[in-house]
Amino acid sequence: MRIHLRLALAFALPLAACATPHPAAVAPPPPAQPLNAVVLLPDADGKVGRVIVSNRAGSRTLDRAGDATRIRDAGSAPTAPATMGAAELEATFGAALAAQPTPPRHFLLYFEQGSTELTGVSRAEFPAIIATVREYASVDTSVVGHSDTAGDARTNMALSLRRAMAVGALLVAEGLDPGALDITSHGEVNPLVPTGDNVSEPRNRRVEVTVR
Amino acid sequence: MSRLRSVAVLAGIALLQTLLLIARPAVADEKTVGSIKKVFGQAVVVRDGRQTPALPGFKLNSGDILETGPDGRLGIVLRDDSLISLGPSSHFGIEKFLFVPADGKLGFTARFLRGTMAYVSGLIGRLAPESSIFVTPVATIGVRGTHFAARVSE
Repeated sequence: MRIHLRLALAFALPLAACATPHPAAVAPPPPAQPLNAVVLLPDADGKVGRVIVSNRAGSRTLDRAGDATRIRDAGSAPTAPATMGAAELEATFGAALAAQPTPPRHFLLYFEQGSTELTGVSRAEFPAIIATVREYASVDTSVVGHSDTAGDARTNMALSLRRAMAVGALLVAEGLDPGALDITSHGEVNPLVPTGDNVSEPRNRRVEVTVR
Repeated sequence: MSRLRSVAVLAGIALLQTLLLIARPAVADEKTVGSIKKVFGQAVVVRDGRQTPALPGFKLNSGDILETGPDGRLGIVLRDDSLISLGPSSHFGIEKFLFVPADGKLGFTARFLRGTMAYVSGLIGRLAPESSIFVTPVATIGVRGTHFAARVSE
């Protein structure tokens, strides 16, 4: 008998809930969300940065992945951050997000001391750079030369430029359009491994190739 | 390495050295700020008031404006490795792009007037986090090294 009563209640309660008009159904519908919106997304590595959205009426900071602020017009303050649902995110930004290019790829090539001769390991890595340039159909590949701090700064600037040019020439010989190359030299001022002056450091004798 | 290839490499070095001696800017290409990588549907680049079809491999300069049609989308990579993509019916201007890390010259200002866009920051975001700004008709978006998407349909 008690079981039956419970069952009856279980059916009756939701019905009663339906019978009572829901307050939201009576109240006027909330105004439509402004169409202008900014949403913070996680980086590829999962890290989350920060975006500050401001106009003359106010300013909001987004610092949680998925948080969005909406802006009715230039004279209305951005709304308090609130999560944008996956469905709205896809409906609004799916097309733009699908057009995101592949991130550029970076390569480090190393040299024998005082020379523009690649180390054996770096020579072996060269075909991978060529393959990437082709795969990316790159028209914007940067080659940046660096030296260690052994010797004087001016000689090192010239040496790291010669290193970058040697790598550039190898790329051109493999078919890269010279117009797609941006060759620069940083000399000894931008070490990968910070050292004092006049230190021979193999890891700083390098050329950084960025294929975009 | 074959002998032919060695000759080609030597010729390449000679060519680049010549270029470097007579016209350094031709080697250190300072005008290009990035390139178009992906295009779907209708999209154009507006430079000095003139429209050119947007195609993959098109090199971009500061001042270029990108526009997509109702079925258009495109993706670009800037020289600091940042990624920008646009959805349909969008208007995006590269107002100022400064990227000379050796001299500490870094900054990016964009004018996003309508449509949808997504942005993944690059080296400028890492080296000078306060210096990336997206101006829209309804608000200004300041980016501190991150990934975001925005819609403007004022």
